[in-house]
Amino acid sequence: MSKMPSSTPPPPLPAVGSETTRANRFPPSAGGSPRDLAAALAEASNLVAGFGAFGLVWLDRDLNATRRYGRLVDFVELAAPITKSVLALIGLEDEIRALPQKKGRILELPAVGVGTPDGDTQRLNFSIFWQPGQGAFLVLIYRVASQTELEMELSRQIRARLMAEAATTAKSKELARANADLASFAEIISHDLKAPVRHMRNLARELAADRSVPIDRELRDRLTEIEFQAKRMSHMLTALLDYSSLGRKYEAIKEIDSQALIDSIVQSLPQSGIDVCRSGDWPKLSTLATPLDLVLRNLIDNALKHHDRPDGAITVHCSDQPQSLVITIADDGPGIDAKHHQTVFLPFRTLHQSTVHQGAGMGLAMVKKTVEAAGGSISLVSDPTQTRGTKFVVQWPKCILT
Amino acid sequence: MIARKVMLLGEIGVGKSSLARRLVFDKFEFDYKPTIGVDVYRYEVPDAPPRPQMTLIVWDTDGNFGDAIFRHVYMKEAAAALIIGDLSRPPTLDCMAKLGAGFTEMFPGRHIGYIVNKTDLMPNPEAVPLPSELTRPGISLLRTSAKSGDNVQDAFVDAAASIARRGL
Repeated sequence: MSKMPSSTPPPPLPAVGSETTRANRFPPSAGGSPRDLAAALAEASNLVAGFGAFGLVWLDRDLNATRRYGRLVDFVELAAPITKSVLALIGLEDEIRALPQKKGRILELPAVGVGTPDGDTQRLNFSIFWQPGQGAFLVLIYRVASQTELEMELSRQIRARLMAEAATTAKSKELARANADLASFAEIISHDLKAPVRHMRNLARELAADRSVPIDRELRDRLTEIEFQAKRMSHMLTALLDYSSLGRKYEAIKEIDSQALIDSIVQSLPQSGIDVCRSGDWPKLSTLATPLDLVLRNLIDNALKHHDRPDGAITVHCSDQPQSLVITIADDGPGIDAKHHQTVFLPFRTLHQSTVHQGAGMGLAMVKKTVEAAGGSISLVSDPTQTRGTKFVVQWPKCILT
Repeated sequence: MIARKVMLLGEIGVGKSSLARRLVFDKFEFDYKPTIGVDVYRYEVPDAPPRPQMTLIVWDTDGNFGDAIFRHVYMKEAAAALIIGDLSRPPTLDCMAKLGAGFTEMFPGRHIGYIVNKTDLMPNPEAVPLPSELTRPGISLLRTSAKSGDNVQDAFVDAAASIARRGL
């Protein structure tokens, strides 16, 4: 198996100013510049080329190298196809031959590795263009500036990127595992605890109903209390199970009419002295229909449930913004003290005795989790020291994160 | 002599240059130096009738190109792409599938060989899960180690055989 380096090994480097780099090999100036200026330019070019910073190669129409200038291009074999010296040009022959058809077109090949006499690789830029005056292709070859610095910077960036990638992967795995553990823990405790709680409730009820056991009034009241508390705990466990599964269920994005949605929610509310008004623009959109229904229903239900007067008003307003729907649910109830503005969104938090309002205290927690899972946000505005009422503001994104 | 252009594509640091150097020079360098731009190598694949002898012009590209490589002049006349990933870095395997899809779209009918490299880093390379796009029937996939040389030559000989079979 023959194995060859990327380019033909170049001949030994000639000394600066030797036959291969003499000024008389520099192409004559095409314009009518003063003789001294042309001479100065040629001299300057000689100096730069002498340092090996750039080189020129002329190709005929068959892409054979006919002339070269500058020690940098000593590796180019003359009277031979340029592809023999520069493998990177293999396959680009048609591209090069097409250059005369498009005036001013330059074919650029940046940072091509080319072998050096000492077996190392130098990185060179190639710019190829057509010279109509000479009927030849000209290949300008120049070093990639500050090669070592570029490599060092690239190495540094790559190392940082690889390390960040590894750290992110490790953290993602850890987080996914922790989330899975937490979710399964919540599911297990809520699911598995339901059975003994149900059993306890049934036992209390059966004992209270058992006529063969002498039970006085006080004991019966306590059994009723046990049954009530067990029932309450069962509701809390059901709510916890629902909460833990939020955001992990696959929810389909559907085309909905948000006006029809809010109308149906309002119509399904129990009759009371509290008016629920709708206002604003409720557009048709593609969104997570069921979660949006859950959010609106819970917020309106929450406003109704915690209203402290037999009559009042709840206003549900929608503003159709370019990126999101901004939905506000405002009531004229007692309001929420500032110190509770964050805690009302926590699971099992309620500002009232459980005997006053039915519920496990999960409504707002589920609303917040649902809104955030969709990529939105929720906040509340209320200051009962100034005025009655609470306003929840939901930013529901039109572009749902999936 | 038939000469055909084979592109090495893949994320930064997956071992493209190491594979090329193992193939061409039969050596492995422990000192990692990222490729800037491209390096081009020549590799002769001996004939194996009915496949004739073939010269592979192997283009080792800079991993920074990403998808932009498909629009670059470097890709002109490519007969095949070997798309490389690092078995120890799952994101690079996902990237392989994307590059494969991009190459197929831009160069339909050309050979694609998927190379999962750095098997030497994994205790059980066969057990590492791969993206489903890389395990579909008919996909050419090899697990290699540029460090040990395992399967490296096979990957390029397979590419030459596929190029000949497709008449590219």
